[in-house]
Amino acid sequence: MNPITTTLADGFWHWLWFGSPAKSSSAVARIGDELFMYTFWLSVAWFVFLMGLTFYFVVKYQRRPGKKLTRSPAHNTPLEIAWTVVPTVFLVYIFFKGFWGYADAIVAPANAEVINLKAQKWAWRMTYPNGAESPESMRFVYTDAQGNQVTSAQEAPIFVVPAGKPVQLRMSSMDVIHSFWVPDFRSKFDIFPNRYTSYWFQADEPGDHVVYCAEYCGDLHSEMYAIIRVLPEPEYRAKINSWAIPWGDGLAAVGKVLYTTKGCSACHSVDGSRNTGPTWKGIWGKEHEMEGGGKAVVDPNYIRESILVPGAKIVKGYPNQMVSYQGQLNDRELDALIAYIESLGDNPPGPGAGYGESAESN
Amino acid sequence: MTTLHGEIPGAHGSHGGHDHHDGSYLDRKGGMVSTIIDWATTIDHKKIGVMYLVAVLTMFFIGGIAAMLIRYELFQPVRIQTVGEMAGKATGTDLATLFGQKDMSVAQADNIYNRVMTLHGAVMVFMFIVPGIPASLGNFLLPLMLGAKDVAFPRLNLASWYVYVFGSIFGILAIVMGGVDTGWTFYTPYSSSHADPGHWRVVFMILAAFILGFSSIFTGLNFIVTVHKLRAPGLGWFDLPLFVWAMYSTSIIQVLATPVIGITLLLLVFERLFHVGIFDPALGGDPVLFQHFFWFYSHPVVYVMILPGMGIISECIAVHSRKQIFGYKAIAFSSLSIAAISFLVWGHHLFTSEGELAATIFSALTFLVAIPTAVKVFNWIGTLYKGSIQINTPMLYTLFFLFTFSIGGLTGLPLGALATDLHLHDSYFVVAHFHYVMMGGTVIAFLAGIHHWWPKMFGRMYNERWSMFACVLVFIGFNTTFFTQFFLGTRGMPRRYASYPDEFQTLHQISSIGAAILLIGFLVHLAVLVGSLFAGKKAPANPWGGLTFEWEADSPPTTHNFHHEPIAKHGPYAFDDVVPPHCDPKDYPLADPLPPGAKAH
Repeated sequence: MNPITTTLADGFWHWLWFGSPAKSSSAVARIGDELFMYTFWLSVAWFVFLMGLTFYFVVKYQRRPGKKLTRSPAHNTPLEIAWTVVPTVFLVYIFFKGFWGYADAIVAPANAEVINLKAQKWAWRMTYPNGAESPESMRFVYTDAQGNQVTSAQEAPIFVVPAGKPVQLRMSSMDVIHSFWVPDFRSKFDIFPNRYTSYWFQADEPGDHVVYCAEYCGDLHSEMYAIIRVLPEPEYRAKINSWAIPWGDGLAAVGKVLYTTKGCSACHSVDGSRNTGPTWKGIWGKEHEMEGGGKAVVDPNYIRESILVPGAKIVKGYPNQMVSYQGQLNDRELDALIAYIESLGDNPPGPGAGYGESAESN
Repeated sequence: MTTLHGEIPGAHGSHGGHDHHDGSYLDRKGGMVSTIIDWATTIDHKKIGVMYLVAVLTMFFIGGIAAMLIRYELFQPVRIQTVGEMAGKATGTDLATLFGQKDMSVAQADNIYNRVMTLHGAVMVFMFIVPGIPASLGNFLLPLMLGAKDVAFPRLNLASWYVYVFGSIFGILAIVMGGVDTGWTFYTPYSSSHADPGHWRVVFMILAAFILGFSSIFTGLNFIVTVHKLRAPGLGWFDLPLFVWAMYSTSIIQVLATPVIGITLLLLVFERLFHVGIFDPALGGDPVLFQHFFWFYSHPVVYVMILPGMGIISECIAVHSRKQIFGYKAIAFSSLSIAAISFLVWGHHLFTSEGELAATIFSALTFLVAIPTAVKVFNWIGTLYKGSIQINTPMLYTLFFLFTFSIGGLTGLPLGALATDLHLHDSYFVVAHFHYVMMGGTVIAFLAGIHHWWPKMFGRMYNERWSMFACVLVFIGFNTTFFTQFFLGTRGMPRRYASYPDEFQTLHQISSIGAAILLIGFLVHLAVLVGSLFAGKKAPANPWGGLTFEWEADSPPTTHNFHHEPIAKHGPYAFDDVVPPHCDPKDYPLADPLPPGAKAH
């Protein structure tokens, strides 16, 4: 790039439009930014020319009492052809630039690291190639005008990705349409409940980037954040390996991991404290009163039913709030969660404990 | 047709005193009750136009209140203030507090915002901007401009007003029952299966849009037939005022596109009520299908919103600079070609959801529609050249339109280009862009038109100085509100958010202050216009020296519009050679006569 284009597309002007200049943090983003700045300056030139001309005419041809009208042509074919063709040339250029940048932004390289992304009202979940999911999350913390500590309303999960390597997300939704937007990567794509869509990026520098949901999806649409944390590749590998599901350590250990990664921890505590849902501590084998009368014993069938058909039995005093995990957990994972709840019990029942009525098996 | 006395033979209206036998259409017949009955059963296009004007401006007021509430809520973000170890208190839930709700959860506060945001969009689009200009000014002026006594189907015209009011009542009902949070676009499967499940209000809002569509179709049909059949003798197609061309193109789109949204909305209602799987994948449907159906109507309708505004601008710029419109045919044909191409670009609302081939084709077609639009702007500016330009409220608004509409058009370029749209789609950049086109274009043109034809409609002049002051306030307020939103968008602020990260707060606050200025500007306008009805000077029949037929009628026109059927003897913009009707030739000096044998342009 020559110095003039660099000055007009970077530094102050880039900051004005995009915030910090360091923020366009993927190779594809830079193509989009260049086209944006080109369109911006072209628009400025046209706009200043047209408005300058208007202003000049308005001042020069002000109505004066008694002044005769001046005849002027009512049309001028060469001029009209010129002002049709010249903008067309610019538009064709912008179209092709846009198309090339789009092709780069849409088609992921073959060597990309493929990560699965699930969106739901109102959370994001990534599943790494080794089956691991992120248990880490954060809130944005600010100090308000009165000096109080305030935080964002929603907890944002932290997703790690490798630096300097293309990453492709294979995205699908569990309910309504969402859209995955990372402003720093200058790209977004919609996520549907009935198909997979793709999103790819390559971030070269380590750092954090905010993910927004860009398609309106209901109450907490405005709080549907996530953090993409770019790490050097070895750190990334180490991280996702540490998050991997420890199948070798026994079912209860796996259940403990699933408890955070599948979002159970948002509503159920394991220390006895009350939350949106009942705590898991010490409930195993006990009898609980249900809404609308009746009692139920917390046994494997009860737990299985509560996970797959949460509305079937509601513990007295709690709202019917939970979403069904039908299709989200496989049988092994259900076993692991049951084992984990069992391990949190006061006196785990021995083998052959009463299993009650059999729940509907799916 | 120049006469030394500036008087059209046979067409002596209020100019020479009140010697006519039928009175103004505004004359009251009897007491209050009979006046109300007279208006409620009228088939006079002028009264229907005025009733529409009152109705759509009421809706604009309701939508405007929602807009102010949106800006109020966005003055600061919603957050959790830590109180003690685990408990938190939501802060910045200004809207909820305004409604008397203290200590709301974030979800409840966001829920209120989402309803206000939907209310703003749905009311402004379906009840204000789509019917706005055609139904009010169009109804009033189209027959006058054609030299006709009324539209072709006067009873259908009255029916369309009642259908409009009936549809709006459904919308209001949905709001009164607790509001709708789907967004005005009703995207599935959120609207069909998730929003307020089992409740009637979403269905009512959809039915409102469905019913309002019929009112559009009635008006559109009426206008098409009127333009074809009721032109005065001698008034050929290329003698039509450009406002009539704009109305004609608009009506074609209305009649062709509205049935599509009607059917789509009906399918949506079926899916919600009877669980027929059309759009919701959980029932075997496809959500993207809805987006295609929806935008197949809603994109052409963007031009239903803007073409009438362009028509007004063409009239205002010609009359107030006393100049033949530059490139009359180019403007007329660009209206028609915009109407035609508008049906082929709906896919540019789906760049982030459709396949690569479709996105590429729609991007190319989108750039195609930019060309006739640009040509119109060049023609308007070309019209100013060597004109005799008078700055008054309509002309100030016309210049204001050229400024904001150009920004609206130019900021469409990075949205039509695929690479940049991936970033800007569904961001505040889009919000700013369409407000520059819809508000900076249509609403500003509407204001130009209201001030241009106000003396004709109500027979009173308004206070020019105060209304120009209000125009300047609206200009400052509008640009402060919406220009900041371009930066919000490129920096990463998504649309339809009740809250946002800290870094966006300064820009949001500037935008909210601009909205307050805008509100003051509108209130001053309202005061000036209402004041003119009581204390305004009596308007002459032709205050601006216009040459189209409506200026030959009295101000306000008589019940039958003209005392004698007008005959077209000159073009609509032949200012160089014709003294305007009812005007003193001393005030309107013509150009030097053409040398013998020379051809007029």
